[in-house]
Amino acid sequence: MKNRLRVLRAERKWSQADLAEHLGVSRQTVNAIETGKYDPSLPLAFEIARLFSQRIEEIFFPEP
Amino acid sequence: MQTTKEQRINREYTRDFLLAMVAYVVVLVASIWGTQQVDAQWAKWLIAVLPVFPVAFALRAFLRYLSQIDEFQQHLQLQAIGFAAGAAGITTFTLGLLENVDFPHLPLVWVMPLLIAFWGIATCWLHWRSR
Repeated sequence: MKNRLRVLRAERKWSQADLAEHLGVSRQTVNAIETGKYDPSLPLAFEIARLFSQRIEEIFFPEP
Repeated sequence: MQTTKEQRINREYTRDFLLAMVAYVVVLVASIWGTQQVDAQWAKWLIAVLPVFPVAFALRAFLRYLSQIDEFQQHLQLQAIGFAAGAAGITTFTLGLLENVDFPHLPLVWVMPLLIAFWGIATCWLHWRSR
């Protein structure tokens, strides 16, 4: 699964730690999601989408 | 850098775990001394197993920690615990087979430290890899 998390975070000038604080997860978790090493659960994906005011499919999309 | 939630979880876990370990050392020393002070076998058995209680408190602290960390950290822990269980199982099974041909006996008391050692190695490796 690919995602636009790094871009969305950069637009807000947030560090990984800032985003982790907003989501209530560790910085390591944000890094793992951004680098595609870990796909978040549905509840966390919804939380990310809500934080950036976007739909899940606008942030996460399957690799071709 | 840790988030506020992480700091709270780690602080509580460290506090509870250290308290359990201090209690373990105190109870272990008292238990070793105590077993030498009684004659009845049932009393020796009872006193000898007392260190299990602080260890159980340490396990409780770890299970609480596991339930509070986020999903990716739980994912890493699943892999670490899986590795530790498998590696400790294979090691003790191998030693068990060797004991059939007069290899020195490994007391059962070493199984848990072995499990914890493998878990610690796996946890460090997995966290380093995903830092």
